[in-house]
Amino acid sequence: MIHQQFNLSPRLSVAKNVLAGSLPAVSTLRALLHLFPARLRRKACDLVARVGLEAEHLHRRASDLSGGQQQRVGIARAFILDPAVVLADEPVASLDPNISRDILALRRQASKERGATVLCSLHQVDLAREFAERVVGVHSGEIVYDGPASDLDDATLTLIYHQTKPGSPVPTTGAVEAGGRR
Amino acid sequence: MTGAPRVAMGNRAAVEWELRQPYNAKIVALVLLVALGLGISAQRVEGQRFLALTWEWGQNLVGLQDTSQIGQGLARMGESLFPPQLGERTEISRLENFDPDRLPWFSRVERQESREVRVNRQSLRTETHAEVKEFLVQPLGYLWRVAVKMVETLEIALWGTILAVAVSIPLAIGGARNYTPSAGVYAAARGLVSFLRAIPEMISALFLVLAYGFGPIAGILALGLHAAGFLGKFYAEDVENADRGPQEALQAIGAGKLKVLWFGVLPQVFPQYIAYTLYILDRNVRMAIVIGIVGAGGIGQELKGRYDMFNYGHVSTILLALFVTVFLLDQVSARIRARLI
Repeated sequence: MIHQQFNLSPRLSVAKNVLAGSLPAVSTLRALLHLFPARLRRKACDLVARVGLEAEHLHRRASDLSGGQQQRVGIARAFILDPAVVLADEPVASLDPNISRDILALRRQASKERGATVLCSLHQVDLAREFAERVVGVHSGEIVYDGPASDLDDATLTLIYHQTKPGSPVPTTGAVEAGGRR
Repeated sequence: MTGAPRVAMGNRAAVEWELRQPYNAKIVALVLLVALGLGISAQRVEGQRFLALTWEWGQNLVGLQDTSQIGQGLARMGESLFPPQLGERTEISRLENFDPDRLPWFSRVERQESREVRVNRQSLRTETHAEVKEFLVQPLGYLWRVAVKMVETLEIALWGTILAVAVSIPLAIGGARNYTPSAGVYAAARGLVSFLRAIPEMISALFLVLAYGFGPIAGILALGLHAAGFLGKFYAEDVENADRGPQEALQAIGAGKLKVLWFGVLPQVFPQYIAYTLYILDRNVRMAIVIGIVGAGGIGQELKGRYDMFNYGHVSTILLALFVTVFLLDQVSARIRARLI
């Protein structure tokens, strides 16, 4: 799971936050003593490096990082147990466009390496076009488009964003992207 | 100005809204009633006498009155408290295991000769007896004793705090609405926390002294149990109010309650916990002094004993030691807080 607001433990270090993603696989006693197995510690370091952070970041508090860096930590945390499915709830909603692109690219790379399916909600159509394989458009809770990203043309977009029914003040939109398992 | 608001104003009929005065006769009457109640209560707690005595003392200070009860009382207290008793002088014949070759540090033996005139029963003559008494004089002996008692008080406070933290952690988990195992445990934990907080240390110390006898055990238990009630409540409320984000993230990946608590909640609330615990330590030191008076060990017990024996010189040494200790404690705890948070 990757969250819109990152949802890291702000006062824990980056390393501890990534390791917290492996809590279900660690015995309670080990968890309470903060003693993670060597394999997971190794993996956390690899993931932190993979998402583009440096060794110096490992022991910094998560709250001392910028938004983009925090979301990188969030991605590392999501992938530490090699999940089959990753849910991402607007992972780039609070980030600027350049960082958004980096983060989504990272996310795509991580899911390809591990063969994970990613279900990701997005508001940015261009990002959905660029990174998704399958796009599902939702308007007022109904699916109005479901098809490959390449077929997402302007007509469909109008359908998603401007099909304003009387009484619905703002069109609720969501581009759902799935990076398929391969 | 565009025309639109004018049109709107023109079209609008006079509204029924109104702005009332901020208070009305009922509130004024209520305030007067409260004032009357306070006036009656002030009489009952000797408010008039307080004013009269203080006025008299003020006149005495500027020279309009010759005597004042407060002035006399304070002067008597000042005279009896001064000078502080630092040394100790003990008759050697009363000491057990006294070894003249191995005197305690900084001490000396003084001999005092006293002459007594007695009547010899056989000859019926008066005879003069010379009696030599030996005293062990320790110039800073009493100060040392006070220091030892003060350390005991600090130890009582420290163990009271450790006990409070140990008891309050399970109570806090049970008493936090979002982490309690069941509604029954929640009610029991909250009830116990309120109960512990409701009993003042002085009162529980009185009874614990009966159970465990005079000394530090009663003090530690009394302080620890009361503070556990305080900490249990505040720890639990912080757990309930912690930011949900990190907790949701860990719940979403399937981490158990205890693990979420440890990684999602504890790091957030940690600075507050340190602050509460230091406050409790600070408070326990002061309370440990007070509950010593009912026999729960430490400097308070010594203070009470000396006060009852009218040894005001000793009392004043103890009071000075208390001021110094509380002052130093303030400094130390401020530093610890600054470093940990």
